Amino acid sequence: MKTELNRLNPIARREFVLRTAQTALGVSVMPSMLDGVRAAETASKAGGPGSPGFGKAKKVIFLWMNGGMTHIDTWDPKTGGTKGPTDPIKGKGQVDFLGGTMTKMAAVSDKISIVRSMSSKTGVHDAGTYIMKTGYEPRGTIVHPNLGAWASHFLGRVKGVTLPDSVVVNSGSAYPGAGFFPPALSPIPISNPETGLQNLRPTTDEGQFQKRLSLMNEFDSSFRNKFKSEEVKAYTEFYDETMKLMKSEDLKAFDLSSEPAAVREKYGRNSFGQGALLARRLVQAGVRFIEVQFGGWDMHNNIDTALTSTGATMDQVFAALIEDLASNGLLESTMVVMGSEFGRTPDVNENEGRDHYPLAYSTVFAGGGVKGGFVYGSTDKDGRRVADKQVSPPDFQATIGHAMGLPVDEVVMSPSNRPFTVGDKGTPVLDIFA
Amino acid sequence: MKQTTKLLSSLLVAVLFASSALAEVRTWTDTKGRQVTASFIGLDGGDIMLQTADGGMHKFPLTNLSAEDQALAKSLKPSEQPVMLANSAVAQASAKVDLLVATGIGRANPERIKGGKPAITGFNAMANDEQFVRRVYLDIVGRIPNYDEATVFIKDSNPAKRAKLIDMLLDSPGYSGHMYNYLAEMLRVKDRLEGGNNVRGIPYINWLQKQVEQNVTWDKMVFDMLTATGKMWHNGAAGYLLRDSGMPLDNLANTLAVFLGTDVACAQCHDHPFADWTQYQFYEMASFFGATSTRYQRRAPARRNKEGMEMVDMGNKLMPEMEKIIESNGGDMTRIRNGLQQFIGANRYAITDTTTNSIKLPHDYKYKDAKPLDPVAPKFIAWSKEDRSLPAYKQKTKDEENLRVAFATWTTHPSNPRFAMAIANRMWKRAFGQGINEPVTNIDDPNQSANPALLKHLAEEMKRVKFNLKDFMRIIYNTRAYQSEATTEHIAMGEPYYFQGPLLRRMTAEQAWDSYMTLVLGDPDKYKKPLEDLYSKSIDLDLYNPKLDAQTVLMKYDAYRKMDAKERALMGGGLASAGEGMMMDDAKTSGKDSKPGTDMMMENASLSYNGMVLRRSSELDQPAGPGHFLIEFGQSPRNIIDGSDKIGSVPQVLMMMNGRAQEMLTNNDSLIFRTMERVKPADEKADVAAAKLDALFMSVLIRRPTEAEMTTAKKTVASDSTGYADIIWALINTREFIFVQ
Repeated sequence: MKTELNRLNPIARREFVLRTAQTALGVSVMPSMLDGVRAAETASKAGGPGSPGFGKAKKVIFLWMNGGMTHIDTWDPKTGGTKGPTDPIKGKGQVDFLGGTMTKMAAVSDKISIVRSMSSKTGVHDAGTYIMKTGYEPRGTIVHPNLGAWASHFLGRVKGVTLPDSVVVNSGSAYPGAGFFPPALSPIPISNPETGLQNLRPTTDEGQFQKRLSLMNEFDSSFRNKFKSEEVKAYTEFYDETMKLMKSEDLKAFDLSSEPAAVREKYGRNSFGQGALLARRLVQAGVRFIEVQFGGWDMHNNIDTALTSTGATMDQVFAALIEDLASNGLLESTMVVMGSEFGRTPDVNENEGRDHYPLAYSTVFAGGGVKGGFVYGSTDKDGRRVADKQVSPPDFQATIGHAMGLPVDEVVMSPSNRPFTVGDKGTPVLDIFA
Repeated sequence: MKQTTKLLSSLLVAVLFASSALAEVRTWTDTKGRQVTASFIGLDGGDIMLQTADGGMHKFPLTNLSAEDQALAKSLKPSEQPVMLANSAVAQASAKVDLLVATGIGRANPERIKGGKPAITGFNAMANDEQFVRRVYLDIVGRIPNYDEATVFIKDSNPAKRAKLIDMLLDSPGYSGHMYNYLAEMLRVKDRLEGGNNVRGIPYINWLQKQVEQNVTWDKMVFDMLTATGKMWHNGAAGYLLRDSGMPLDNLANTLAVFLGTDVACAQCHDHPFADWTQYQFYEMASFFGATSTRYQRRAPARRNKEGMEMVDMGNKLMPEMEKIIESNGGDMTRIRNGLQQFIGANRYAITDTTTNSIKLPHDYKYKDAKPLDPVAPKFIAWSKEDRSLPAYKQKTKDEENLRVAFATWTTHPSNPRFAMAIANRMWKRAFGQGINEPVTNIDDPNQSANPALLKHLAEEMKRVKFNLKDFMRIIYNTRAYQSEATTEHIAMGEPYYFQGPLLRRMTAEQAWDSYMTLVLGDPDKYKKPLEDLYSKSIDLDLYNPKLDAQTVLMKYDAYRKMDAKERALMGGGLASAGEGMMMDDAKTSGKDSKPGTDMMMENASLSYNGMVLRRSSELDQPAGPGHFLIEFGQSPRNIIDGSDKIGSVPQVLMMMNGRAQEMLTNNDSLIFRTMERVKPADEKADVAAAKLDALFMSVLIRRPTEAEMTTAKKTVASDSTGYADIIWALINTREFIFVQ
């Protein structure tokens, strides 16, 4: 059996194991057995099963700092000519310093790994966001999937849960979402965490609702037959998905009012705080990948006042989330990642702000098998250039994918028959894993 | 026309590639006795070519015509020019466009066949009147037609009715709202600008809406945006640069992408990896804006006015005194300071041109042609070597204070190699769902586009109509290509498309919302936002007026806050903030110039349903607030160019199935029910249910039900008291409703 197994190509091998397991053992395949197969496939490359951190992050909360988070005032503070408006403060372990507004994060910095050597190619918001969320540069010919969709593709939909595998909080749009994967793998966008998912109940009784649905399908059938485009099909899939979801017991995860007031206060009564709290509830309900967005980082003007509001809110929320996950025993299996499309210029501009700066910036990891009090890579004394261990957006994607247990070097063909991998062939940063 | 269309669609064989010819307009009869009014173009082998009033060219076997007409056709001379029933110049222009589309299809076919795809046999069949009227309303005025509008058109027997409808719609108020939505999305026009400071885009929004209403030509609009000076509430066009205050390089990258279809964003940070643009060239372009400031510097050295007098920023100077006044009135400065500073700070956002160009290469400039921090002189980019001899390039670039004028003149000049082409390509995409060149923000090489001859011709047409977007769209909407049925073939992303008809498209968020408004209000254009711009009225302070005193600033701030609250109430959002405790009693501030806000208060003429303000998307918040129908449907947050999306989502479907909007439409008081009652026959013996169901289908889907659908629908309304509401619900939830054929 072993020789036969080795003759098969990687995909066939996995299928073979799955089928053998299902028929011979009468059970679904055991993860360890699959891991063995993946280990054989990926032995030549960094990462993969058996390497540090692989598959430790069962869930991911991705905190997205919209607008370009200033690295020098947060995770990579400097004391020279490019110093921010406040003095850096001390952290724990190797986290020598944090930006002056980061008091609460300093207290939990023994639980985080900072990557200070990010470097990207684009200083444009949309392109920078796209590459950080997919690993790929935007193209006019294809939309690439985000990590939530990749995870659903490789690991399957989360079992026993009717909620979608991924959710985006504080955004009306899921873009880039499922990319070239089926629309059903697209995250659900929640534009307001306080109100959660709206319109869950039909305005009629169940019988009438069903009657309406069957009328809809009948009246729509000739149109759907005539126009068999992907867009039309996608809509029909969304109706199917929505119908399943409407019946779900898991929906109570969206009800923040069932949280104690003290918890809600701790996160902060703002869209980011409540969004992060919602993310924790969704993790508990089985959702695999949750992105929480927080804007206000495009600090071209008066960065000092912007930091006292946006910076302080971020500090409070991030720290509250880490502490809350830890106290609920979820931090081991949940990775919290903070990213942004780029950093900001080391030099303060004429409007007392900082401009876009992709050449050097930081990302942060916590939980899900990540080391605490750890710093990876560095920039020069002014925060202008990566001095050591440069990490690209594809590497960033691959690192998260690796933690989720995805085969990041496995090639997947899009429906248009083009080859893609998780994070565009990036290399996971294994050093951050314990 | 109904008859005409039927005849033509049955006779239509293929697209006509022939050149236009002089025509005699007459009524032609076929062997089955059906008639069409059309002009004679010529004979081609065994085929006859006719042109109908809408500009469409039709070619079919001569033997399909009656013997008498066959004989006549043979006797007629092919003509030199098409003479149209109405608006011949437009029809001629449309026919020329059709010819180029047809030629493009012909050229594409060999490649398609090689790639294993079927050849495109010609334009898609002519869209029928029902499809046409729905599409043309959605495309020109951004909403479905209401019941009366649809039925009047369908019943009209005037052969020129399509051209007439297009003219009528282009001149209706709906055109302005819909075109504004398009431009606002492209230009990222929004109310609450990033960076706080209470700077709002309202004056810019109002300016843009007015430009579209007055059909100001595109070149003039762009010129005004690029050259505006002062504060936004003194000149709304200043909003274009102030929108991106503090980020001039991003603004420039957007300017080039939007107005010139040239994507140089990469060159902001390094040489463009694929195209020829260098980082140095980008800075040469940026240099045109290097002497322009979008903000008064709070801590900068004092400015001097023209007489050399030092200009002091009174906002800073008066702060201690204002604190004293507030505290002596029992106010809490810690609660007020932020808002007050933002109020004052908003008045520092203004465009001024200085005499020094401050543009320098970045400190990390790494190429050999210059050193980091070198100053850069302004220079226009060119797309080919010959470009520099064009008239557009004859601009003086030495005078610092007029650099923007030079840039704007070059940009909007008819001989600029990309300006006309970029907007023509965009307008084409609006009608067909895909640009001739994709993406529309990057026309790297027009010869690589799906139909280079067509793209170049449209650019010439844009210049010929002198950048009058209405006239340009009139030509496109009158083409046979546009009036074809939507293409059913799936076109994969990035695949070229040859425009045998428009692509099937999901409605934009704005089209969906405005169509709901049509179903609710009938004529949604009657309901406008409050005309008065309370924001502009109350925000203005002259910070450099040495006579400005603390009391006046505080009084104005108080009035501003009151008006802000009132305006929010009028816009239907955040009612909670209305009537909040003011910082001082009116009694204490009255007695000086400005009147308290009461006389500014206006009646809110809009209707609302369950908290939803019932106005068209262009008359609501820009963009709409979180959770609004428009946002769930993918309205652009207006942060990036063309930033909307048309992806479905669970919340969107939940909203369509269970939300307030569907509840409003299925309500017994809804306009659909009232229409059904209005049009049903008075005669008791007539088939009342059938007439009502006809009206229902016509209201929502703009077509009559098929026989099978009628049977189901009748059964539903007979068996259930909620039958009509159920059918409305079912129809607004169909893909047929949300897609544009």
